[in-house]
Formats: sequence, C-alpha cells, structure tokens
Amino acid sequence: MFNKTLHVLPVVLAVVASSNAGSGQLPEEVLDGLIKKTNNSVYLTQSPQNIMMLPDNPAWLVAEAGEALFKQARGPKNASLEQCDFGKGPGVLDGAHAELPRYFADTGKVMDLETRLLHCMKTLQGFTNDDAAIKQKHGSKSDIMKLQTYIASKSSGIPWNPPMQHPLEKAMRDAGEVMFYRRSGTMDFSCATCHTQTGKRIRASVLPSVYDAADMTKAISWPSQRTSHDEVRSSQHRVLECLWQMRYPNIKNGSDASIALISFWTDAARGEPAILPDLKR
Amino acid sequence: MFKKTPIAAVAAVSLLLIAGGCAATNTGKSVAPQATAPAAAPAAAPAAPAVVAKKVDYTAMSPAELAEYLIFEAEGYDLKQPTQEGTTGRARLVQDEIQKACSLGKGKEIDDKSREKIMALAASTIKYPEGGIKLGDWKKGRELAWSGYGYRTAHNPDNHAKGTPGGNCYNCHQIATDRTGGDIGPSLTGFGKIRGMDPDTLKYAYDVIYNPHVYFACTNMPRMGASGVLSQAQIADILAYLFDPNSPVNK
Repeated sequence: MFNKTLHVLPVVLAVVASSNAGSGQLPEEVLDGLIKKTNNSVYLTQSPQNIMMLPDNPAWLVAEAGEALFKQARGPKNASLEQCDFGKGPGVLDGAHAELPRYFADTGKVMDLETRLLHCMKTLQGFTNDDAAIKQKHGSKSDIMKLQTYIASKSSGIPWNPPMQHPLEKAMRDAGEVMFYRRSGTMDFSCATCHTQTGKRIRASVLPSVYDAADMTKAISWPSQRTSHDEVRSSQHRVLECLWQMRYPNIKNGSDASIALISFWTDAARGEPAILPDLKR
Repeated sequence: MFKKTPIAAVAAVSLLLIAGGCAATNTGKSVAPQATAPAAAPAAAPAAPAVVAKKVDYTAMSPAELAEYLIFEAEGYDLKQPTQEGTTGRARLVQDEIQKACSLGKGKEIDDKSREKIMALAASTIKYPEGGIKLGDWKKGRELAWSGYGYRTAHNPDNHAKGTPGGNCYNCHQIATDRTGGDIGPSLTGFGKIRGMDPDTLKYAYDVIYNPHVYFACTNMPRMGASGVLSQAQIADILAYLFDPNSPVNK
C-alpha cells in the first residue's frame, strides 16, 4: 500500500496544495511553528520520523477523494454537500472545523464535524443509517473519513475557537470536563490519569497534557493518519480507543457523551493552530 | 412536553417502537450502528426528533449532573455490553467510593479527612496469603508486569480464555532496563537491590500492588488486588520480579 502511496503522492500533493491556497497553512508549517514556539516540546518532537513524513502524509489522498465526494451529487436526493452548513454558512469550509463542536439551531444540538456531516448526508442527500455511505464510519476507504479529512484540511493553521456563546455549548464543554476527571472502571482510570502532566510517557509514547494548549492542538487535530493503523482516524475514533484502553464499555459514535468530551478537549486547545490533516503514531 | 395532539402521540409511540426494535436486534457485540437513536427513524415526521431532543434541558443541570446524564441516560455508552467479569458496561461506569472521592478537578486535592477515610477504606480491602507474603516466580512476574492485556471491552473485547490479564506495570513504570517503560509512576529499576527484602518492605510492596490508596490516597495507580485483576499468587510473582536478586530488575 505504502509504495503505491509514494508514487501518487507528489502529483496529488501538488494538486491539493494548490486547491488549498488561501485556506491556511500546510500542516508541516503549523507544526514547525509550534515546535519553535514551545522551544521543542517533548510531546511535539517525540517522533522525528513522523515529522519527516508529514509533508508526504497519505491522508492527503483521502482528503483528495473527499473533495470529489463532497462536490458530487449523491444519494436518493441526488445532491452534493455544497449546501451543508458547518456553522459558518452553507458551503463555507474555511475555518469551519476549527469552530466545532458548536450549537446548531436546526437540530437543537451541539455537534462535532462527524455528526454534522452525517446530518447533512441525511437531510441534503437523503442517505439513511442503512446506507453504506453512512454506516461505515472508520478507515481511509470510508466516505465519512474521506469527507471529514477534506473538510478539516480547510482549517489547517487556523486557531481552535469553538464558540461558547450558546448555553448548550458551555453545558456540553463543562460536562465534558467532569467526564475527563471522572474515574471509573476496572482500573480506576479517567482521562486525567494520563493527560494532566507535561512530558510524561505511557510506555515510550509521550502524552499530551490538557493544560498545555500547544500540545493539545496536535493531540486533537483529527482526522490524522495513524501510522500504526495505516488508516486515517477521526476524533470519534480517538475517543473510542482511549476508552477501550481505560476499560470502559463501548462509547456510542456521535453520542452526546462523546461530543461533550470533544468539546472539552477542543476548548483546551483554544487559540493554537490546527494541524490538518495530521500524522500521528 | 409532547403536544396533546393524537398525531404527535402516535409519532412518539412509533419512535419508541422503532427504538425498541433496534435494541432487541442489537447483540451489543462489535457494531455500533444506531449511534443516533432519534434520527434512526427516518419515516417519522420531521418534527419528531426535535421533540425528543428537547425532552431534557441540559442547561438546567449542573456540569456533574449533565455528565451523569450523558453517561447513563443519553445513550452515551453500551451499558449492556458484557464484561469479562460477568457484569455489564454499566457496572464499569458506576463509581465506587474511592473513585468518586478521587475524581478531582483541575488543581484540586483531597482534604485530610477524606484522605484518612480513603486510606482506612483501602486497608480494609487488602487480603494476605495464608502462609504470609512470599516471593513467587520472577519469570512469571515479568510476563505479568509487561502485559497490558485484559478487561478491555469497547469495540475489541479481550478474550481471557486466550490471554491472561496482565498487571500493566510497564505502562507507567520503568522496571528493568532491558525494555522501555512509562514514567507516570516512579522508576522501579533496582527495586529489591536498593531496598532489601525485610518483611516490612515486602508487605509495603504487596500492599501497594493490592491497593495503593492505603499509602497514597487518590493515586493514579490501579488497585490490582482489590479490583480482582491480579490474584495473590500473581502478586507474589510480580514481587519476585521486583525483589529476586536474579530478576533483571536488580541486575
């Protein structure tokens, strides 16, 4: 797979980079800026290999496929997603992901990128939960990940700024904070067990601290290629995997519990630029 | 909350029926398809999901109340998911006294009274081997100390028939120098060599593995004996890994 990727990448990168003009910085430039600003944060610099690979991130291929899907008329209603409102108006993608999760009046809910995307695929395109386009939520080959990677790439270099004006946005963020510190399960873990000290390691992996916004922006910049999975992964997938390690039961994709956690961690990265798409271990 | 019209009532009932039907066919195994239960009924009137969403006012709750609501009432987790110990996902999320007392927010520490209470509570959970604390097999202890297997559920449940649950020590501790461990906890390299092997030291180490809150209230370390993850014999094996002069920990 990787060999193929490397052959196609230069061409795709040139295309994507040019179509990306005006919507922020390339991820490698953002990361470089953060490393300089933090005077070589241990978390940000832990993998020289991944830093070297970031400009050739296979996630760009996934974003490229996502752009085509986004603009294509699809589903029972034969519509594209170009009228989808991610919070900054119909079809506005530049910087939209950096302001998610947020409250949407049309659903009365706080939604993250993935739940908002699913909402648009259902309402604008007519897909239902039984359609493969909606059912398959994980992996670089899924429509959901292609679309998310494309949409999120339009927020690269833009500081995280999830709105807190609506009372529900604040309520979800604050509930997420409680959940972050809430211990339970077989081994008494909470998110805080691993993510409240700077520069600490689980095994050989340096952990991000929730008190360090520059570390947090890298930690929460999803979608990201995960080199250990050879797949692009989402915020929802990161929540799922952390909680699996914590010995919690399966958290439901797109549940308010998952969005509360994502609201809290996005707020913890506030003001620091998004690295999208990222590449992580 | 529901409008009093019969149409809305019928819509609400059919929503419940559909949701119930989904729940009945869901085995709770590897798939998590109907994440958004209200939206799972595309046939219902467009107004119906909004009615369901407004059922509860999140902004009227305290953050702690809302967190509990999202975990237990708002389809946040698969609460019926079977666990390896024969309980359900719900049991994994319900907090016991120590978990509750130690869920401290940013910059918060437990007060002295709670600390004493937790230490006493922890002491009451520790059970000792009949013949006293003795060292087991350091090779078995090494396997356990370097294994993170066991009790994970979620999307990929560990199968205890295929793998023995481990102690997870290496995730947070540097132990022997032949492999890289974490550093959330203190380094245990040279543990026995530095401390010797008198009965008090052995008991101390046994206690910390069994229930570390007895000395360190609200520590990040799991209660490996009290939670039933490790047996007394397995703890003895890990003690051997830490104390035995032939163990790589002391080389």
